[in-house]
Amino acid sequence: MEEHAPHTTDALIQLEVNRVVEDSTTDTRIVVLTRADGTSDLFMVWVGASEGESIRRALDTSTTPRPMSHDLIKSFGEHLGVRMERAVLTDVKSSTYYATVFLENKGVVRTVDSRPSDAFALALRCQAPIYVTQDVWKRRTGQNLDAWLSKLETKNIGAQEV
Amino acid sequence: MITQMQVKGLMFDPYNNAYIVILRDEDQSEMLPIWVGKSEASSISLAIENVAPPRPMTHDFMKTYLDAFNAKVISVVITDLTEHTYFAKIHLTYADSEYTVDSRPSDAIALALRTQAPIFASESVIRKQSSEELDQWLENLKPEDFGKLDS
Repeated sequence: MEEHAPHTTDALIQLEVNRVVEDSTTDTRIVVLTRADGTSDLFMVWVGASEGESIRRALDTSTTPRPMSHDLIKSFGEHLGVRMERAVLTDVKSSTYYATVFLENKGVVRTVDSRPSDAFALALRCQAPIYVTQDVWKRRTGQNLDAWLSKLETKNIGAQEV
Repeated sequence: MITQMQVKGLMFDPYNNAYIVILRDEDQSEMLPIWVGKSEASSISLAIENVAPPRPMTHDFMKTYLDAFNAKVISVVITDLTEHTYFAKIHLTYADSEYTVDSRPSDAIALALRTQAPIFASESVIRKQSSEELDQWLENLKPEDFGKLDS
């Protein structure tokens, strides 16, 4: 695949996966990311339940009894000598985010289009940084949703206790 | 000895709340049922039906990842069965070298179906499963399950 994403990370904003929140009403997961520069704004991406679990497990660095699909991709990289350089959230259309994964082998960088969930799950396992373009950051969903998110998290805690 | 298997279909197993991938050999004499999770089952199902989902799934990403480096899946082998857990290996070629990577059978099958790679099962797995899996199946049956068939 030809490179079409930014080559440099100068104009990008680095993000860190903060936590994965369960949205019990839709059986999806919300990946909450924060800016690496410490600014308090959040970046949220809705992902499927199994992808969310894979991200959560990478975040917890808890080892699963059996490797998950993203552990297998990491294992491919280790066998083939492919290093994950970074993940970049490159676009958003109709509230759907698009990501590009940068992979390096013998000095050659190749890019692979991906869903953000796969990019996050793999980046966390490979200790690769996650970035978002300035444009996508400005068009992010979930702005001013901090109050709603904390309510959702409180609700989930309650639900687990019952 | 290894036997080539074909994916014959997917079944829902209500007792384990899981899905079963049915593998059969070419003579239809051996059957290998493999229990997989919901998301793995849906990934395998999309590959069987040759349906492209609106967004690529994790196994599609896995294929694109390998394609980006021109790494090819030669075959996948279901190699072992221990205490109801199957183990698989994925054989790859990349830059004139061969690699073998350990995998869950569900990932191996989902990837094999997307890369048109053959799926094999070792003889020992086929021999073991006939007793082990039947035991597991019977253990999970409850008296009321038998009643359902009459009604």
